[in-house]
Parts: sequence; C-alpha cells; structure tokens
Amino acid sequence: MSLIVFENVSKWYVDGKTRIQAVDNFNLSIEKGEFVCIVGASGCGKSTLLNMVAGFIKPSSGRILLNGEPITGIDPRCGMIFQNYALFPWKTVLGNVEFGLKMKGVPKKERQKVAREYISMVGLSGFENSYPSELSGGMKQRVTIARALANDPEILLMDEPFAALDAMTRQVMQEELLRIVDESNKTTLFITHSIDEALLLADRVIIMSARPGRVKQDLTIDLPRPRHVSDQLSERYLELKNTIWSSVEEEVLHNMLITYGENNRQPKRKLA
Amino acid sequence: MSVDIESARLTTDVPAAEAEMPTENADLLSKLRRYRNLLISIFSVVTFISVWELVGRLGLVSPVFLPSPSLIYREGVMLFQNGVIQTDILASTRRVLVGFGISAAVAVPLGLLMGTSETLKAIFDPILSIIRPLPALSWIPLSMLWLGIGESQKYAIVFMGAFAPTLVYVIDATRRVDPLVIKAAKNLGASRLAVLREVILPGAMPNIISGLKVVLAVAWTCIISAEMVGASNGLGYRIWSAKDWGNTPQVLLGMVGISLTVLVIDTIFKKVEEKLIPWERNRR
Repeated sequence: MSLIVFENVSKWYVDGKTRIQAVDNFNLSIEKGEFVCIVGASGCGKSTLLNMVAGFIKPSSGRILLNGEPITGIDPRCGMIFQNYALFPWKTVLGNVEFGLKMKGVPKKERQKVAREYISMVGLSGFENSYPSELSGGMKQRVTIARALANDPEILLMDEPFAALDAMTRQVMQEELLRIVDESNKTTLFITHSIDEALLLADRVIIMSARPGRVKQDLTIDLPRPRHVSDQLSERYLELKNTIWSSVEEEVLHNMLITYGENNRQPKRKLA
Repeated sequence: MSVDIESARLTTDVPAAEAEMPTENADLLSKLRRYRNLLISIFSVVTFISVWELVGRLGLVSPVFLPSPSLIYREGVMLFQNGVIQTDILASTRRVLVGFGISAAVAVPLGLLMGTSETLKAIFDPILSIIRPLPALSWIPLSMLWLGIGESQKYAIVFMGAFAPTLVYVIDATRRVDPLVIKAAKNLGASRLAVLREVILPGAMPNIISGLKVVLAVAWTCIISAEMVGASNGLGYRIWSAKDWGNTPQVLLGMVGISLTVLVIDTIFKKVEEKLIPWERNRR
C-alpha cells in the first residue's frame, strides 16, 4: 500500500464571482521511503497540494489518503517544514525541537534526550540553549528539520525550505538533507522551483502543469546515490535536466499567458 | 526616559568600537564618549534647577506662584522627618499596584480568550465598547456611592481606568501573533489549549508588556485624581490639601514625589520585563 495517495484531488477558490482553479484532478501515489520533488511554475498550486496533505486546507473534491485513510484535519504524522522556518522565537533550540514530543505527553527527561539526538543529527550540538533570533538562516532551517524529525512523522513535507537561504548555504543544506533523510529513512515530499535542487535530492520528480495544477510528467531519477553537487556535470544529469526544463518551460510560458489574460479581463486588479 | 534609552544604547555600542581602535588615545576617546551624554544630561538638569532657583532668589516671581527649589527641598525634609511623604508615596503606590494588578489579572486572560474566540469576542465586545470611552474619573461619583472613600474605592477607580485599555492591548497583541507559528504548533500536534498556552500567550507577551507599561501610567493618573476628590492620604491628596492651605512648595513637592515614584516603578517594571521575555534579550 502506498503511504500517500492523491485521489482526483481538486481545489478551487472563489473570488467574488470568479472561481479560481488551483489544482485540477491531481493523482499521485508516494511509496514509503521515497523522496519526491514537485516542480512547477509559480502559482501552479504546489503549495496548495502540500497544505492539503498537512491538513491546513481541505480539497474541494477528491481525497488524500495516508496509509489508506483519508486525511481529515491537521495531522502531526505529516511534519511540515516551512520556508520561513516558523520557529517559536520564545523557545530555545531545545524547546523548539522537543515541542512535538511535549504535545504527545512524553516526560521531560525522555523528550529532551530525543531532542538532543536530533539536534546533534542536524549538526547543532552546543546550540541547545540559543534562541532562534541568535541563529543564522541555515541554522534555523536545521532546527526546523530537527523539530519535525523529533516528532517522528510518517512523511516530511517541505515547502521550498531552502529558498530563503543564500546559494552556498543552500548547497550545504541540500547535501545535509540528503544525509539526514538517509539516516532517518523518512519519506519526503519536497516542493521547489529549482530543477537542480530536485535532481540532486529526488528519487522522483513530478512536473506540474501551469494553473490549474495537474501532473504533467512523472520522472524517475536514476542518478546513482549518494549524490554530490559535482554530479551536476554528468551526462545523465544534463539529459534529465534538459527533459525537465523543456517540460517546465512550456508551462511557464503558458502560465504567463494565463496571468496576462486574466489581467486583461480585470484591468483594475494589480498583479503581485 | 529618552536619556535612559540613549545611555543604554551607548553602553552596548561602545565595546565594539573599542575593539576596532586599539590605541590608548582611542580608548580614552570612547570612554569620554560613553560619559558624554550622561554629562550633558547632568549639566542640563543642574542648569534648569539653577535658573529656577535664581528666578526665585532675585524675586522675579513671587514664591506663592513658583517657590524656588530650595524652598521645596526644605518642605521635603520637613515632611520626610515627620513621615508624611513616605506614607503618601506608599499609599498611592499600593493603590496603583493593587488596582493595576487586579485589572491585569482579569484583563490578560480575558483578552487572550477574546482574541482567539470569535464567540467570546461577540459576547464581550459590546460591553467593552461601552465602557472603553468612559474616563476613569467619571466612575468616581458612582464608586463613592457604592464603596465610600475607603481603599476599595481607590482600587476600583484604578481598576476601571486600567481594565479597558489593558483588554484592548491584550486582544490586539493576541491577534498579532504570527499565524504561521500557530500553524506550525498545530502541525506538531498542539491542541487548542496548548496553542493558547504555548504559542499565543508567549507570542503576545512582548506586546502585552508594552501595553501594560502604557496602562501603568494611566493608572497613576487615575489614582492621583481619585485622591484629589476624596482621600485622607496619598500624593494626590497631599497636593490638593496643600493647595487649600496655600502651601505652594508642598504642591510642587507632591508633584516631584509623583515623578520620582513613577520613575522608580518604571525601572522595576523593566527588570520584570527582562525576566518575562528573555528571548528578546538580543533585540534590546
């Protein structure tokens, strides 16, 4: 049985009299232990998909199954990692990482022991008592990853987690994530608009169509593991990158047309 | 107040500057800079008092209208020696702190609930919007009718003055808590109550505290006025009765007393603030 199954999932928003279709008839199965990246043009409903798995929003039609059971509300089994960290500023690194276990009622001594293990796994030993405001962006994202892992979720949901980091930190974090996911053996659903990031991390890359989002292409990435940044020069890598790019390019252009068309119909509305 | 902020910033800035300039000369310079603003402040106070004193000594203004600082000082020594001024300061301070404390104890939890529950907001909002525009002083007649002029009437006036603004500040602070952080907490399995206790309360705390600081000043206004209308001690009473006896130095002494007491309490409040929100330590 697949860990996560999207069954004809659609999501639309109503804005005045117009109905905006964000996701249309999305179907996908994710197996246990897989690392799946979703790439797509901005506004194609990638984040909407992730928010539906986490239970923050409900599909307008269709359903999402976790271990065969539909997700009905916010579910701690789907651990979310936000782009903007969403750490608790008033809690120390240790306090942040142990939060999920505290909510489960795990005794203090035990949960702190587990938290320390994960803090060490993400390479932040010695920073247990620092507050988030005292950490750099990369360190904050490490805390978020440790916080999600300590809660032992079935799946990690990552919404462009490294987009706010500078290019070098980002590369370090990608390699770290590979190691961490490997060590903890977690299923991961990762959203990005960077093809390189997807190719470095994923077992499978899902290319989404422009709005409304559908699966356009489901690509198995057969690059050998462990992967390194240097693999980006291999022939197979470039071949895959080319395939993904030509597929994405179409959608980006399409997306621009949609946006332009909409803008024409409603000339008063400003584009963000 | 502004002087205080200035000097605080200087003390944090200076070590970094010192590290950049290792020569002895620079060291001296930075030391001088550290004391510069303090010296200016002292100079400004001394000048102000001297000019005031001079105006009195030269007989430019009659002491009945504006007694000189030395006359106020003499009055202060006298009232201190027979213990009157201490009693007044303690009485006023106690009234403020009790009224303010009760108001905070009720308004903070209620505000947290009103900020997070639409239903509770719908229930209490109309009452709040009727009470809010009423100045605390408008409660004086009614409070005297109900409670006389004893201590409980003083607490009630401070309470009425502090309650509505505190509630408004707390509701506002609650709504400013980053929704993303609330989402994250729920995602980690936090129940509604846990979100309130672990996320909304600490998340709103910095804004609640800055609101409480403003309200504390309001509470002082309330008690001074209430004491002027009906009391047998307290700084407000002292000023009002001194006026009736034509004792202008005592009027001014009472005012200085208010000033100094509020300053001291503000300083204590700042210490409490540091204890309550330690995670803001590197933002100050």
